[in-house]
Amino acid sequence: MEAKEQSKKKESWYWNWLIGSVALRVILIYFSNNLNLASRPEISTPLTSLRRLAEGYWLKQSSMSPYAGSMYHGSPLLLSLLGPLTAKRIEGQPDHILCSLVFVIADVASAMFIRVTGQNLQIAYSQSLKFLDLVKLSEKSDILPSGDTAALVYLWNPFTIVACVGLSTSPVENLAIILSLYGACRRIAPLAAFGWVMATHLSLYPVILIIPMILLLGYGPDTPPRKLFLQRKYVEVGDTPSNDRCQQEEAVNQPELPYVFSWRPVIHFLFWTSLWLVYVLVLCGVSVKQYGGLWELFKRTYGFMLTVQDLSPNMGVLWYFFAEVFDFFRNFFLIVFHGNILFMILPLAIRLKHRPFFLAFVYIVISSMLKSYPSVGDSALYLGLLGLFVNELADMKFSFFLFCGYIGVSLLSPVMHNLWIWRGTGNANFYFATAMAYACLQIILVVESVSAMLNHDRKLRKLSATKVLDGKS
Amino acid sequence: MGESEGESEAPKVKLRPIVRLGMFLISHSHLLSVVCCTAGVLTLLLLPLLAKNTYISENALMPGSANPMLSSQEVSEANGLVKDLTNLDLKPMASGIESQRLIAQYMSNLGAEVSFQKFYPQSNQFHPLHFFSSPDSATIQENISCSSYGLNTVGIIRAPRGDGKEAIVLVTPYNSEKIGLGEALSLGIAYSVFSLLTRVTWLAKDIIWVVADSKYGEYAAVDAWLRDYYIPVFSGLGTQNAEMCHGLEENAITERNMHDGFKRAGTMAAALVIKVADRSEQFEDSLSIYAEASNGQMPNLDLINIVNYLAVHRQGLRIKVEKMWSLLNCKWLMILGEILESLGHLAKSFNPQWKFGIPAADYVEGTATLASSLYYQALGIPTGPHGAFRDYQVDAITLEISSRVSSNNKGRQNDFLLRGGRLIEGVIRSVNNLLEKFHQSFFLYLLTSPSKFLSVGVYMIAFALLVASLPMVAASLYAHANNLDPSFEKNKSNHPASAADELGITLRSWKWLYAAKKVLVVHLWGAGVLLLPYFICQIPNCTSTTSFVVWVLLSIFSLLILFWILGSPFSYVTASQPQQREWALLKSVTISAAFIGLCLMSVINFATAEIGALLMVPMCLMAHPLKLDVKSRKLRNFSRVACNLALGFIGFPPTAFLVFKGVFEGFDGISVGDFWNWLESIWAWSSATYLYMGMIHLPCWILCIHVILHPC
Repeated sequence: MEAKEQSKKKESWYWNWLIGSVALRVILIYFSNNLNLASRPEISTPLTSLRRLAEGYWLKQSSMSPYAGSMYHGSPLLLSLLGPLTAKRIEGQPDHILCSLVFVIADVASAMFIRVTGQNLQIAYSQSLKFLDLVKLSEKSDILPSGDTAALVYLWNPFTIVACVGLSTSPVENLAIILSLYGACRRIAPLAAFGWVMATHLSLYPVILIIPMILLLGYGPDTPPRKLFLQRKYVEVGDTPSNDRCQQEEAVNQPELPYVFSWRPVIHFLFWTSLWLVYVLVLCGVSVKQYGGLWELFKRTYGFMLTVQDLSPNMGVLWYFFAEVFDFFRNFFLIVFHGNILFMILPLAIRLKHRPFFLAFVYIVISSMLKSYPSVGDSALYLGLLGLFVNELADMKFSFFLFCGYIGVSLLSPVMHNLWIWRGTGNANFYFATAMAYACLQIILVVESVSAMLNHDRKLRKLSATKVLDGKS
Repeated sequence: MGESEGESEAPKVKLRPIVRLGMFLISHSHLLSVVCCTAGVLTLLLLPLLAKNTYISENALMPGSANPMLSSQEVSEANGLVKDLTNLDLKPMASGIESQRLIAQYMSNLGAEVSFQKFYPQSNQFHPLHFFSSPDSATIQENISCSSYGLNTVGIIRAPRGDGKEAIVLVTPYNSEKIGLGEALSLGIAYSVFSLLTRVTWLAKDIIWVVADSKYGEYAAVDAWLRDYYIPVFSGLGTQNAEMCHGLEENAITERNMHDGFKRAGTMAAALVIKVADRSEQFEDSLSIYAEASNGQMPNLDLINIVNYLAVHRQGLRIKVEKMWSLLNCKWLMILGEILESLGHLAKSFNPQWKFGIPAADYVEGTATLASSLYYQALGIPTGPHGAFRDYQVDAITLEISSRVSSNNKGRQNDFLLRGGRLIEGVIRSVNNLLEKFHQSFFLYLLTSPSKFLSVGVYMIAFALLVASLPMVAASLYAHANNLDPSFEKNKSNHPASAADELGITLRSWKWLYAAKKVLVVHLWGAGVLLLPYFICQIPNCTSTTSFVVWVLLSIFSLLILFWILGSPFSYVTASQPQQREWALLKSVTISAAFIGLCLMSVINFATAEIGALLMVPMCLMAHPLKLDVKSRKLRNFSRVACNLALGFIGFPPTAFLVFKGVFEGFDGISVGDFWNWLESIWAWSSATYLYMGMIHLPCWILCIHVILHPC
């Protein structure tokens, strides 16, 4: 009874905080003209700026190609979804209020999906603990509701709020990524495929998420390393007094079922992916038919992302480098920089294959660090997902340092920008220094979170080993 | 598995030197922080010694390479203008619009394009969100009455060799209602230069002469003109208001070359504000330079260098920069100067190559200048109308020429006009040579005398040393607080079987979150306190003392309410974990917040950060719960209590202000209302110092007091 009441209390507490975050967003949207967030380079990049989208929509309305004039580089589907909303003005209200409300809804939806995903992951976690006979552990220590934590971290993260209020389309992109991860976690192949296709279509970099998604669909959510289960199984088998073969086989077959790679959902996923892919391509083809077709679309969107044509400052590290590099080395370094992301995919996938969701998190951090036009919206996504591993990463080192670093850099970056652009007393190096500090912080975050996760696995192994020894003696 | 473990172990081995260094710093943090702090203060005192001589780093400037062309002919023309203006002032009726028309007449006779610019005085309004945004046109104009407006007269010479893309600005502020002799003379100087420049062939940049109507303040007039120049209003309120009040001087504009519209002439390379001070007690002609703009921004050092060079080497004027006079008679500073001087001699006797000693008198003077330089930068209020230009990235300074001229001495007046005019001409000629905008020399510097400066690389050392102890102490406190958990240590050592508990201690490394929450709440409260004066100002008939008292009461009240609302989670936390860790973690987070805040402020406005660090760093480092100190009853602990109380007293912004004011200006006649007035002034100029005080200094002070009074 008490536990039920407590959980109910927690539930209402969660909803209160959710409503609070929505209220804060609405208040900030009302003052958005004063805040002038939409013009900050950290928030609206050439890809996510709503101002550019409105320009593209205007071009399209006057029957020109939306990609004419190098203003808009986003997807044509987003253009036809959000474009009409940018044109609508309500008297006495701030501009683009309808779009802002769409972004608020997207944020809330993302938070809800994160929450359900977290609950799912938590169930899987406690199940695996139960299987390893570490039930006492899960009951004794108060395991935090990681879903609620992650959802609230996502909603109350200043980065998320700023990206939502600052008229950038990153809430929608984040929603697509979270949707795909949610679908994969629940093994809903059509949804996962839809999310992945949309996320890839909107911002290209989520394309690498296909590996963790296949692993998720195949193996199910995160578990401790598979070897542990095998060990456990052998011990159990050894312990059984009778040497009957059937019994042994039963013992082998029964618990192992969820931990083998099942091809069915993966095949489903691939099938649905191809279906959605064709669908999206056809839609895009229809909408850009008279403006040069799909090839032009790819060149103006993905080409723009991959060749880093816009060198205006942002919080990434690529703009500075490609502003400095000689033209004849440009192609080489483009390959090197994008290869950086690809190099890390395979080793990480091998090491973290038993934790596909965490693998997806690591991929997202790496891609948001090395992508060509990063914004705070990307950071908001991975910081929100970090909350999902609150139980596993309890012993993460340098948490306080990282916290202070994030606060310091996010405050220092606008000041340096002001010093460079408006006061004229600084120069580009001032701003780039904060961008480098930010990249370093992200690297430390990745390294520390991965090592904390591996330590956690190690600890579980030690515990189960002692358990086994105790059982034998 | 063995392989993977080996892999993950390998980087740890590599990290070890760094970790060991970190451990060393943490374990010796007490000693190191004391050393760092003293070194920081000492470096600050040594700064006048480290100042370098200024030099002109932009080669294109070539000051003084050409002979001045200004002759007595222009001076006599200018004398005519001065006489006309002073005569105009004698007539009681015709002043006001008359004087502008007279100046415009003179300008247009020279062949310049003349236009008038009408502006309305704007009350200084506080825009809390506009600190970091660009200057924008969306300032709301309220309560414009047609009767009260100022009228700037603007004359433009088009350069024969230029393309109209660049311009140099001369500004002469004067009060159109009552023209003093000094103002008339400054107009005379500008006029003489202006009339010369209409005839020269070397001019490559347009010259704009703004005769600013300082009826509503010099800054307001210049600012209004600049706003119209850079941010034209195409529709909306601005033009409507202008049209409403039209038809006042329409008929006046009939002469040649006079234009109704607003005239422009390209981007500004530099701006000179010329003023003449009526100080007859001076024994020789001297020139004061004012350079500080809003938030401690300075013009490029090269601009000051040219003026300094031309004034000293060509015109024989004595250059002065602002000094803190009360420091000149300081005993201990004199003694320190003598010690440094003798040290310098001693070093020289060892090795004649070492030259770092300066005479004691120079040292004292340099310190006084440095102190005033720091003070005016920290205040964040521009020291003259040149401050308006800096907001548009234009380098500008105010030149205040003072002389012994009286109106009846004709010869002296001519000589004065000639020298002033030649100085301005030389500066303009140098700036005219520029190919790019000023970028070669420093923007971030402090002056210790007109010809000596400290660059950012030097003065940052003092600040960095002072602040470096903060992260060290924070890290050591944090590490201690995490290791103090006795149950965990025991578990680990005794029996590994109970490692279930080990996992059970979840979020061990995230314990600081509670302290961070507290710090965040207090900082948010600080932001709220900042906004309170906005509402208190609305109360009518309030003296400064009562407003201050109301403000303090409201702040305390809101703080109490906050603690009352959020008290329950805090008490629950404190009950669940050992007290000792709680205050240490709180102190660690406070120190980190102070560190971030100070570093941020040092980028925005260095002087504020330096003064703030002097007050705040010792306070943050010393803070220690009184209860623990009193319990242990040792001399060391009691001295710490005394230090804590003293630092807590001086760290509170109002007391700090009043104590410093008392020390420099005498304690009689001081009231708490002074602080309110001072605060109101920096608030009205939207100085970042105001933000610093509310969002960094005050919350940190509150948290330090909280640590000192912590119940453990």
